[in-house]
Amino acid sequence: MSPTLSYVDSTIALSIALILLATLTGIGYRFFQGRGHSVSGAQCIELEKLNILKNGEEVTEFGKEATVVLFSTEYCGQCPAVRRSLSKLEYRKGGLLFIEADITHRIDLAAHFNISQTPTVFVLNPAGEIRFRIGGVPKPRTIETELEKLGVK
Amino acid sequence: MTTSKHVDPRGPRFGAAITSALSLIAFYLSLTNQSLAYAIVVALGVLFTWSLISPSTHPYGWAFAKLVRPNLAAPKELEDPRPLKFAQQVGLAFALLGIVGGIFSAPLVAVSAAFIFIAAFLNAFFGLCLGCQLYLLIRRVGIIR
Repeated sequence: MSPTLSYVDSTIALSIALILLATLTGIGYRFFQGRGHSVSGAQCIELEKLNILKNGEEVTEFGKEATVVLFSTEYCGQCPAVRRSLSKLEYRKGGLLFIEADITHRIDLAAHFNISQTPTVFVLNPAGEIRFRIGGVPKPRTIETELEKLGVK
Repeated sequence: MTTSKHVDPRGPRFGAAITSALSLIAFYLSLTNQSLAYAIVVALGVLFTWSLISPSTHPYGWAFAKLVRPNLAAPKELEDPRPLKFAQQVGLAFALLGIVGGIFSAPLVAVSAAFIFIAAFLNAFFGLCLGCQLYLLIRRVGIIR
């Protein structure tokens, strides 16, 4: 093999490696994001600190059976779709409250709850304790399964 | 920043596919023909800047409207343009790394092209906006420092 040819070969190999790296990153992201995990301990959400408005009024009470909190930012491309599906879920399920916190200008909240990506979704019990959290777009049925554990029908 | 001009999300993903092809060529050439690779990275920088200043006149948007959109069904949902704008700013930052850094150190052109490729590829084929994903992390590191 001539030296020039092997040089071209190695640049092609590097380019293919780059494509593989990007593809594996994408597959890994698709696989892992949105799965979520249970949260033990009793970290609570304090509604007065979140200052969430819903239909123009400040939210002061949690949902009777459960509350779902969506953390979003202005730059979150996938949040509107999650918002729509959670709104539909709230409409279907009794005792469920859905609230959204835009943390674009509340980086302190992101640090406090250790949120490093949007969308991030928390499932709270009636006392406002975080029971489950999901980073990324929730996989189908994940939230429903968690809500059923809390007794939401 | 306007909030009313929502866009068909497939347009930017079409653009990202072209960007990923261009940046892959630039990456390949940066190992063989550096001046041509540098020219492509400069062109990518111009395209990113263009989409920030005047997205409605951007050639990607024109090509999408003329060639692709007529063959697609109506979009299921429209997207807020702010995340897209942020993604273009991240792309521009990487392009500037190659444009400015490439003057002093040739390998930076390859690094810049590789980052642009990964970000554009993930956006085009997996719908993952890397810049948007990292936004909170970047801001939080900024606060902690």
